[in-house]
Amino acid sequence: MSKTNKTFIEKLLNDDSFINWAKETNTNDIAFWSAWINKHPEHIDAVYTAKAMLLGVVFNEKKLDKTKINMELTTVLNRINTGQKQSNSHSKQYKLSAHIKYAAVALITLFISIFSIATIYNSKTITHQTSFGEIIDLKLPDGTSVVLNGNSSIKYNKDQPRTVFLEGEAYFKVKPMPSTQAKFWVNTQDLTVEVFGTQFNVNTRQDKTSVLLDEGSIHLLLKNGDSKIMNPGEIASYSKEEQKVSHKKITKKTSYASWKEGTYIFNNITLDDVMQHIENTYGMSYEFVDKSLKTKLVSGGIPNENLDICLLAIQKSTEVKILTKEDKLYIYKLEIN
Amino acid sequence: MTDNQFEKSVWDSFLDGNKSAFSTLFKLHYASLHNYGLKISGNIDFTEDCLQDFFVYLFENRAQISAINSIKSYLFISFRRALLRALKKERQYVNYDIPLELLLSFEFSSEEIAIKQEFTVIKSSVLTNLLNALSVREREAIYLKYYSNLKLSEIALIMNISYQSVLNTLQKAYVKLRKNIETKALQDVLKNN
Repeated sequence: MSKTNKTFIEKLLNDDSFINWAKETNTNDIAFWSAWINKHPEHIDAVYTAKAMLLGVVFNEKKLDKTKINMELTTVLNRINTGQKQSNSHSKQYKLSAHIKYAAVALITLFISIFSIATIYNSKTITHQTSFGEIIDLKLPDGTSVVLNGNSSIKYNKDQPRTVFLEGEAYFKVKPMPSTQAKFWVNTQDLTVEVFGTQFNVNTRQDKTSVLLDEGSIHLLLKNGDSKIMNPGEIASYSKEEQKVSHKKITKKTSYASWKEGTYIFNNITLDDVMQHIENTYGMSYEFVDKSLKTKLVSGGIPNENLDICLLAIQKSTEVKILTKEDKLYIYKLEIN
Repeated sequence: MTDNQFEKSVWDSFLDGNKSAFSTLFKLHYASLHNYGLKISGNIDFTEDCLQDFFVYLFENRAQISAINSIKSYLFISFRRALLRALKKERQYVNYDIPLELLLSFEFSSEEIAIKQEFTVIKSSVLTNLLNALSVREREAIYLKYYSNLKLSEIALIMNISYQSVLNTLQKAYVKLRKNIETKALQDVLKNN
């Protein structure tokens, strides 16, 4: 292709009338360029190449899973917070030549000996953190099992695995220690749950801590110095900001939300509260397009292994429509034809 | 607030060290950089490692970032540079001395080429093969122009070539594509007769 031809194509690409012809958007331009091409058959190649360049190749955009992006973000933020420069989350299998390998081994040994002293204090604290929508099953060193809901963290000292610190939401099955009568403590910003061996759910979201007891009995040590004894089938909540205690037996009419082994249990609570739980667990904000739906009452178990299943179950049981647009959930009234 | 103003304000508070602005930036651009990195390296673990390193580096060295025109093309330029550096490093370890161009894979798969094309009625699987027969440079230019929707001036900066070269590259690619499509169509006609 000659040099003059190139500049000719460039002229075509920047000509509005030519663009209208290529995209078939203006009848005048279509007529003009059809006539022009008939008069200048020598330019036909350049004209059609320019047209193809304007129309381009149409791609199907590949979507990346939102949970995946959030997981990667959590890792990156953790690395920034801990000052870790090199990634180690994916299995690296880069081939090293022999002398580099030896140098690396020597360096690593040196680093370990220097930093092991400095990191002794840090390494004693064990932290498990979930990102939005991620649920993990944990077995603590004493045999207690914990299911940690999305966007939550649990911390404990290696030497005291029966004293844990919780942010977010978790379900505990504490292993009893009859011989030593050793207690188990869950600490939150509002209170401490003191137990021997039992099953219960703790939720620290929305500026308060809620505890729902399934089995056994527990002691709540509130941050204001008070204490409460809870019996199975009771729900209690306390906020250190508002200093408000609520403690009641669960009946069919009690309004509450709990979470047990990957299932939300909602009882007589508003759809607005349900959506608040979803926001806390998956990090998706929401908006009621039809405001009257906010007060709709929800009862029943909703599986929450992943967001799609969870939303599907909510839509089925409440007869609403939930649409996702750019990280936000929109709640509509279901049109019944 | 327009999308542009929104991105600009997110970018400014990221430069101030705001982590939630950084998170927004991450969520806005992760998917497109992930896809671009995968196209360049052809290896998902490698791409994700590089992307993590890249975002950590971006946050920690935000003070060194000078005024930029487009956030998207800035991210593409610096991520491409980081990826190529990592690929080069890997190449040193295996002791091959192959040109950088061969390190880039840029393979298209038929799933990502839409069935309905505007400039041709050729089958998407055939078009995929014709695209993959182009040079790496031509494929990358096509990808950046039509998949990532970047301007020619931005593509020039990303690929580190002149504006004129981007135009020539795209033009050459389309001349080849059109010629091959015609040959293909002719073959089909002959076969059917």
